[in-house]
Amino acid sequence: MFSTELIVQTFISGVMIGVLYALMALGITFIYSIMRMINWAMGEFYMIGSYLQYMLVALLLGPDLWWLAIPISATGVFALGIAVQWGLLKPIFRKPPETRDDYATVVTLALLLLFRSLATGIAGPNQFTPGSNLPVIMVGPMPLAGARVAAFVFALVALALFWGVLRYTWYGLALRAASQSRVGVQTAGIDVLGIDRMAFGIGVALAGLAGALLAPVFLVFPTDGLVTTVKGFEIVVIGGLGSIPGALIAGILLGLIESFGAAFIDSAYQNIYGFLLVLAILVLRPTGLFGERGREA
Amino acid sequence: MAAALEAIGLSKRFGGLQAANDVTLAVEQGEVRGLIGPNGAGKTTLVNLVTGVYQADSGDVKLAGESLIGLAMHEIARRGLVRSFQVTRLFGSLTVRENLRTAFLARRPADMDGEARIERMLDLTTLRALADTHAKKLSGGQRALLQMGCGFMVPGSCYVLDEPFSGINPVIKDAIIDMIVEVNRQAGATFLIVSHEMAIVRRLCPKVTVMMEGRVAAHGTLDEVARLPEVVAGYLGKALE
Repeated sequence: MFSTELIVQTFISGVMIGVLYALMALGITFIYSIMRMINWAMGEFYMIGSYLQYMLVALLLGPDLWWLAIPISATGVFALGIAVQWGLLKPIFRKPPETRDDYATVVTLALLLLFRSLATGIAGPNQFTPGSNLPVIMVGPMPLAGARVAAFVFALVALALFWGVLRYTWYGLALRAASQSRVGVQTAGIDVLGIDRMAFGIGVALAGLAGALLAPVFLVFPTDGLVTTVKGFEIVVIGGLGSIPGALIAGILLGLIESFGAAFIDSAYQNIYGFLLVLAILVLRPTGLFGERGREA
Repeated sequence: MAAALEAIGLSKRFGGLQAANDVTLAVEQGEVRGLIGPNGAGKTTLVNLVTGVYQADSGDVKLAGESLIGLAMHEIARRGLVRSFQVTRLFGSLTVRENLRTAFLARRPADMDGEARIERMLDLTTLRALADTHAKKLSGGQRALLQMGCGFMVPGSCYVLDEPFSGINPVIKDAIIDMIVEVNRQAGATFLIVSHEMAIVRRLCPKVTVMMEGRVAAHGTLDEVARLPEVVAGYLGKALE
């Protein structure tokens, strides 16, 4: 009764959206692993990425140059992240207070409200969609929306780039070292606040990239980052906080579960299937698939 | 010539505890100085003040005559003041080789062949067989060796070592002593070593400084200070050793 074709198509669309979710989760987990704080405004950086993409395509570059707008949008969010770290987070990270992550929680929640209100104030409570002139792509007998395929390919390139920098460059070594001992890198003569700045910028740029890529697929509106952010946190719980392979694998897993749930059970509950997986993980393996048991000293 | 490392009237208070009280000491260029004293005497506090982990309430720290007050930890490290921690601060999910490589992230002398230096340090620390093992899998002694290795990767002018020998088996202790002696002799580096191991302090340090209750109680050879009544009293009546 279920055709192979449907199963394959469901699988492909699950993997494709999962990789996009993984970008979001990677941003959350990357910032956490270096700065030991959760950025609760991730969804707003996603939202800003989506608005930048819309404005660039609608007002400046036109639909043919959508691919050029993507890196510009992500870079814009990166610059905003750098400014936020420099102006709002660095002052409190300079000294070692015990309540640093509490402070970061308050600041990022305030940013969440600020950015949402600004979006509503400036562009109104409207929904926009950057036009996509990408044709439907046929994979065998299956039609796939061009915008989704493009988003998937861009996300894969970004992930490969991210991994390559982390694994093979000097700066990547500094980032990996800082994620394991902040005191250790300072002893080696590295400015850990400079590392924070890059980590926060890169982390939110991943969210901005996801926002820009998904702008033509979902719509652009002030709270458009909400659903993807919730999924990002689900993935982080499933994959394990601080784990980069965990974010990737759990992202794809979540995409698959949603996609199969929507196709074979009921698409009305698409956003709920992931929660079932989160519950199962919390019961069976509370550290997540790749997480390590934390120890506070 | 200015002393290699100087503390001048350093004080630090934590709430009701005066952890360092007007501490003054000067370590000469090329000297290996021991810093001893009972638990809670303020030795680690002094190390943290000197290396920028804590900001002093008052007083000054000078490295080769230049004040370090107000500099961040990483800036002090870049000036060639290298420290080790009592609880080793390694990068657990990096390999031994990668841990050594982190020493080059901030400073690498232009004329140094980085990879050759890493190979040399793998020999010196006797960790070659474990080069591609994650640091978190090492034993306590191996971690201590690796921490020393990281510190010695880029020659510093001055080393502050906090309990480098605690909880380590005798063979590795000897390996660490050999590394210290070699760096001291070849590069003329200065050392300030906090230790409870009197036998090693006697071997390495011609002169020691004794701290008690946040103050400097005495300077001198180990045998000289061991005879002072206040030092004996500070160690609860036990003779040193």
